[in-house]
Amino acid sequence: MAQARTDIGPPLYKEMLPPIIKENYGKWQYHEIVKPGVLVHVSETGAKLYTVRAGSPRLISIYFIREICDLADKYCDGYLRFTSRHNVEFLLSDGSKVDALIAELTEKGVPVGGTGNSITNIVHTQGWVHCHTPATDASGIVKSVMDELFEYFTTMKLPAKLRISLACCLNMCGAVHCSDIAILGIHRTVPKIDHDTLHKVCEIPTLTASCPTAAIRPNPKLKSVEIKAERCMYCGNCYTMCPSVHIIDAKNDAVSIWVGGKISNSRIGPRFSRLAIPFLPNNPPRWPEVVNAVKHIVEVYAANAQPGERMAEWIERISWEKFFEVTGLQFTDKHIDDFTLAQTTFRSTTQFKW
Amino acid sequence: MAFIEINGQQFEVDEDGFLLNPDTWIEDVAKYFCKEEGIDELTEDHWKVIKYLRDYFFQFGIAPMVRKLCKDTGYSLKGIYELFPTGPAKGACKLAGLPKPTGCV
Ligand code: SF4
Ligand code: SF4
Repeated sequence: MAQARTDIGPPLYKEMLPPIIKENYGKWQYHEIVKPGVLVHVSETGAKLYTVRAGSPRLISIYFIREICDLADKYCDGYLRFTSRHNVEFLLSDGSKVDALIAELTEKGVPVGGTGNSITNIVHTQGWVHCHTPATDASGIVKSVMDELFEYFTTMKLPAKLRISLACCLNMCGAVHCSDIAILGIHRTVPKIDHDTLHKVCEIPTLTASCPTAAIRPNPKLKSVEIKAERCMYCGNCYTMCPSVHIIDAKNDAVSIWVGGKISNSRIGPRFSRLAIPFLPNNPPRWPEVVNAVKHIVEVYAANAQPGERMAEWIERISWEKFFEVTGLQFTDKHIDDFTLAQTTFRSTTQFKW
Repeated sequence: MAFIEINGQQFEVDEDGFLLNPDTWIEDVAKYFCKEEGIDELTEDHWKVIKYLRDYFFQFGIAPMVRKLCKDTGYSLKGIYELFPTGPAKGACKLAGLPKPTGCV
């Protein structure tokens, strides 16, 4: 313990930059998308950096990592990077090697794309692979959705970028709250309490304080707590704090779909995503209901938005009532906010469309 | 669930080796756990922290926040880590027989 080397931080990124990037750091003049998945950055020195972006399933084996390392050795002098959406980027100083690299990636089943007005990789979470609070799976749905929307990864035919994200519970690890389309796991039943173990393994004040709707109160007689069912909206936060509260329910756990979030400041400022579909069943291994719903929203958006318009901009232009009309999605009581700042989301104008 | 045996007495522990019932804790539990948390021998400083954690837990039903722990015992966080190399939660709370910390740890 005494000799442990600690607090050394990550390795300095500069040590891992390809020479062409080191030499032209801060000197880039412009870039172009050569074709789907291929970028070229041109420096004021005239140097050209080619980037080949390829999809990755994020959850990858060390064998996959070694294979992409081999490709980086062969085409990029051993350099590559991962993007903030878990795509792999091969960084080439020699543009003549781009097509050979793409051919080899394609042969291995690694798709090239994710640039420009495409649907790039889905930012997602742990799901049933590793977390203990999920209401749905991550890798499974992501694979199913990307299979169905694959053509949008390898082309750039959408009006604008379309970001899809997934989180398997409403802790929302990742980007679901700010994505064009978000897939979010939800529970629909009140947690069950294991009174026998609760006082041994849980801090009761922490548990009661974890509930956003104050549905939990102590039950001193049982040395436990009780949940007012009619106040509970199944967020699962209490389970995060206390292992004796059980919320996972194979039959009733489900998936919801959200739309219209963005994080960039271009044209209109950032937006939170909002509820589009409150409930779709968990239907592994292919989640056809979820896949169809996402695909449908993508297609309606693609057919109706103007060039350059993100999902949020399109919806705000046509209005939410038109969004529900053109998508054919049902507007229900579930869509009406009833939390702390609900009032700010109600309509306080006579302006609306029939 | 697993059991550990200390001086002929059985204690139920979870998969991370945390005592399952804080009420069953005895000093020998801390002595038993200390090796696996990187502590050679429990000194007076260790006992001071352990006693504080147990008193706080039984008074308030929760483990104290780290700032509260440091302020009340007079040890800096660095000092706590010197005493308990695996930290206030995994180290000190475990030795004190408190429930395992929850949340996104
Ligand atoms: S979103 Fe929820 S279930 Fe998914 S990884 Fe995060 S905390 Fe776990
Ligand atoms: S699931 Fe959420 S709303 Fe329901 S009791 Fe637990 S913390 Fe409260």
